[in-house]
Amino acid sequence: MGTRRSASYYILSAVFAAFLLFLYGPMLCVYLLSFQGPEGGMSFPMRGFSLVWFETLFTAGGRGVGDIHNSFIRSLRLGAIVAVLTMLIGLAVGMSFRRRYPGSNFVFYSAIISMIVPGIFVGFGISLTLNMIGMRPQWWYSGIGAQLTWSLPFAMLIMFIILGRMDKSYEEAATDLGASSFQRFQYVILPLILPGVIGMFMAGFTSSYEEAARAGLNIGTGNTMPMELTGLLGAATTPVMFAVGTLTTLFMFTLVISTLLVSARLAKRRQLRLTAQHA
Amino acid sequence: MSSMTVSPRAASWLQATPFTLIMTCLVMVPLAIIVSVSFMDFGFAEIIPEFYLGNWTDLLRSSLTFDTYKTVFRQLAIVWTITLLLGFTISYYLIFHVRSNMWRAIFLAACAIPFWTSGPIRMISWVPLLGREGLVNQALMGTGVIDQPISWLLYSEFSVIVVYVNMLTMAMAGPIANSMAKISPSIIQAARDQGASEWQVITEVIIPLIKPGIVVGTIFIITAVMGDGFLVRAMSGNQMNTPAVAIMNEINAFQFPPAAAKSVVLLLVVLGMVGLLLRFVDIRKELAR
Amino acid sequence: MKIDSDFNAKKLMPETEAPADGGVTKYDVEMIAVSKSYDGGAKAVDTISLRIPKASYCCLLGPSGCGKTTTLRMLAGHEDITDGDVLIHNKNVTDGAPSARGTSMMFQSYALFPHLSALDNVAFSLKIKGVGKTERQAKAMEFLTLVQMEHLAHRMPAQLSGGQQQRVALARSLITRPKVLLLDEPLSALDPFLRVLMRTELKRIQTELGITFVHVTHSQEEALALSDLVVVMSDGQIMQAGSARDVFEKPANAFVAKFIGGHNVIAVDDRTVSVRADKCRIVETVGGVNIPATVTSIEYQGSMVRILVKDEAGKEYCAQISDTRFFSDPPAVEEKVMFSWLPEDEWLLAA
Repeated sequence: MGTRRSASYYILSAVFAAFLLFLYGPMLCVYLLSFQGPEGGMSFPMRGFSLVWFETLFTAGGRGVGDIHNSFIRSLRLGAIVAVLTMLIGLAVGMSFRRRYPGSNFVFYSAIISMIVPGIFVGFGISLTLNMIGMRPQWWYSGIGAQLTWSLPFAMLIMFIILGRMDKSYEEAATDLGASSFQRFQYVILPLILPGVIGMFMAGFTSSYEEAARAGLNIGTGNTMPMELTGLLGAATTPVMFAVGTLTTLFMFTLVISTLLVSARLAKRRQLRLTAQHA
Repeated sequence: MSSMTVSPRAASWLQATPFTLIMTCLVMVPLAIIVSVSFMDFGFAEIIPEFYLGNWTDLLRSSLTFDTYKTVFRQLAIVWTITLLLGFTISYYLIFHVRSNMWRAIFLAACAIPFWTSGPIRMISWVPLLGREGLVNQALMGTGVIDQPISWLLYSEFSVIVVYVNMLTMAMAGPIANSMAKISPSIIQAARDQGASEWQVITEVIIPLIKPGIVVGTIFIITAVMGDGFLVRAMSGNQMNTPAVAIMNEINAFQFPPAAAKSVVLLLVVLGMVGLLLRFVDIRKELAR
Repeated sequence: MKIDSDFNAKKLMPETEAPADGGVTKYDVEMIAVSKSYDGGAKAVDTISLRIPKASYCCLLGPSGCGKTTTLRMLAGHEDITDGDVLIHNKNVTDGAPSARGTSMMFQSYALFPHLSALDNVAFSLKIKGVGKTERQAKAMEFLTLVQMEHLAHRMPAQLSGGQQQRVALARSLITRPKVLLLDEPLSALDPFLRVLMRTELKRIQTELGITFVHVTHSQEEALALSDLVVVMSDGQIMQAGSARDVFEKPANAFVAKFIGGHNVIAVDDRTVSVRADKCRIVETVGGVNIPATVTSIEYQGSMVRILVKDEAGKEYCAQISDTRFFSDPPAVEEKVMFSWLPEDEWLLAA
C-alpha cells in the first residue's frame, strides 16, 4: 500500500523498539557478564574480560555448579527422543483429522485440556498414578511420556492448521490419477506439509528442552538442564550461571539456524529435482 | 487398489490411537487419580487408601487458601492488563504499520530469539538489572533521583510482574497478531473511506474482529500465571505464596493428599475460567480458518 | 428490477453546491499529468490526464496490470500520488485523506465489516459521525431500500449471497453522499446472469442519483454497455478516452481495436486499418478487398455466427455474420473461402 506515514507510525515504532529493549536488555546482560573478570560479580561494572566462568564449567566436571554437564546431555537425549515421537505421533493424529469421525472431538479437546492444565498437575498426576500402581519413575518411559503430554498438543495444532488450509482437491486429483492412499501420502500430502513436519520436530525438541514442571517428578534419578538450573538459582552468587546461559543460547541458536538451513536445502533440492525432471 | 483397504473411519481411528492413548493414560487418568487421592488419608510420605475428608476441611477452612488466591488473582489481573495492552500495540504495529513482509518476519523473529535462552537463565538475567547494585539502581542514583538503592525492584511482587510480562507478552501478541492478519486490508480501507479515524478503526472494526485472538491469548496468560510456581518462587525470593507454590511445597514435603485437594481446587478454578472464555469462541473453527 | 416510483433517489444526494470559482464546473473529476511509481521504480501509471464530465458513468478499461486499479485507488486516496494533481468538483484533493475528498470506494471483495449486520454496515459512517442509533438506522434503511435490500437488513454479511453483499456495499458507499463513486471491478465476482442484472442496476442508480461513477473493469462488453466515457488503458497510459460508440467505431490504435474486440487489424499497403468483424463477409465477394482464406473454426452465438479464417500466410481474420445469412449458405471448417470487406468500412489506425 502506498500512503504516507502517520504520526502514530512513529509513536508505535518507538513503543516496539522499547519492547525489544525490554526483551533483549536482560539477555545482553547475561551474555556480557558471562565474560566478567575473575574478581567481578553478578552485576555491572565489568571488572575486566575473561573466560574464567566458562573454564569453571568445563574443569573438574563443572564442580560447584552442580551437574550441568550430565544434565545437559540428559536434556539433549530426552529432547531428541521426544522430538521424533512428537513428529510421528503428531503426523498420525493430524492425518486422522482430515475427515470427521466419531470421537474426533474427544481427541481434539483432550489435547486442549492437556495444554491448559498447568504442567505441575499433569506431572503430579502421573507421579501419583505411578505411586498407586507401585512403579518407580524412569526417564525413558514416565519422563518421555510426561513431556509428550506437553509437546503433542502443539504438534496436533500445527497439523490441524496446515491440513485445514490444504486444498482438498490436490488429493482428489491424485486419486483420480490412480494414486493409492500410500502414494497420495508420499507424493502429494507429505511434500505439501513438510514445513509443518519440521515444525513439529522443532516444537517437540524445544518444548522438551525447556520443560521441567511435568518431567520433574517423573524423570527418576538425574536432573535435566532446566531442573538443574532452577535448583541452582537460589545459590547463584557468581557469573557462572551467565556462562551457562551464553553457551546454551549459542547451542539453541546453532540448532535453530541449522534446522532452517537444512529445510531450505531440502526445499531447494526438491526444486532442482523437479526442474531436472521437467527439463 | 490396495489389498489392505480399511474404511476411512477405521483409518482415522488407527491414526489417532497413539495420541489418544497418551492423552488418556497420561492426562485424563492422572487427573482422575488426583481427584481420588484428595479424598485419602496420609502418613509420612505415604498415602493411606481410606476415605478421608480431612484434606478438604483443612483446605476450605484455612484462611491461607483465600490469601493465596487473592495474591494470584491480583497478579493475574495486572499481568493480563499489561500484556493485553502491550501485546495489542505490538501486533497492531507489526500487522498494520509494518508494510514489508520481510521486515515483519525479521521483527517477529527478533521477538522470538530471546526465548531460545533457558527459562531459569532468563529469570536470573534480571539480577544485574534490578538488583541492589543493578543497572536500574545505578542509573537512578547516578542521575540523583534517589540516594539509596531501591530494594523492592528485585525479589518482590514487582519483579514477579516484570518477568511475567517479559515472558508472556508474546503469548498474548501471537494470537492477536494471527487474528489481525486475517483482517483484509480492504476492510480497513473501507472504514477509512467511511470517515473513521485511526482510533475509530481500532475500536469499531479491529477490536470486534480480533476477539478470538484476545480470548486465546487470555487463556495462555491464565494457565501460565495460575499454574506457575517456579517463577513466583524464584522472582519473589520465596516470599510470595500462590496456590501453585503451596501445592509444590506440599509435594516436596511428600504430603500428597492435601496437595491433591489443593490441585483439584486450582484445576477447577482454571478450567472454569477457560471454559467460560471458550463459550465466546469456537477454537476448532478458528484454527481451520 | 422494479423502481419504486415514489422513491426520489436524488433527495438522498448532496445539494448541488455552488462551484468554487463562481463559474460553471463542467467536470466532476480532473486528473492532470498524474503519475505513480513505487520506490522510484517503473511507472505503474505514467502521466495520465483525464476529465470526467458531470454526472457521467466512466469505465476504466484495460488488461490486468495496465494501471487502471492504481488510477482508481489514487482517486480514492488509498494510494499516494507520485506526481500530478487530482481535482474533484474543482477542488484539489491530491493530498486529501480518503474520507475528505468526496469519493467513496466500493471494493472488489465488497469489504463488508463481517461483525456488523447489513444495516449496521450501511450505518457505519453515520455512527462514526456520532449520529444517534435510531436516526442512523432509519437513514441506512433508506439506502438499503435504494438497492432493494431492506428485507435483509438484519442479516450478517456471511448470510448474504455475493450479489446481495454487493448491494449492501453499494448502499454503504452511497450513504456517505459521495460526489464520485469509485467501483473496483464490482461485477467480476458475480456469475454471468447476476452480472448483467447488477450492471443494469448500477446504471439505474447512477442515473437516478446524478453523480459520477468511475468503474474499473477488464470486460469490454461491460464498459460498452455502461459508459458515457470509456477510458482504455495499457501500460500505465491512456490509449483512448471517448464515448462507447467512438471507441468501438473509431479505435485510436491497434491496441484499442484488438482489446475492444470485434475488430480485424489489417496491414493494407503501408497503412494499418481496422475493420469491424460484423462488416466482413465470407463466401460471396462484395466487390471490395478479397483475401483467399481457409475456415478454421465456426462459433454459433445465437443471433450471430463467428467465423475464423486463416490466409495463406497464416494470419487470422474474423467475421461475424447474422445467423440468417450464415444458414442460407453455411461454409464448413477447412473450406476455402474469400474473406472480404468494403474499403469504406476501413478505419485508419494511428501508427
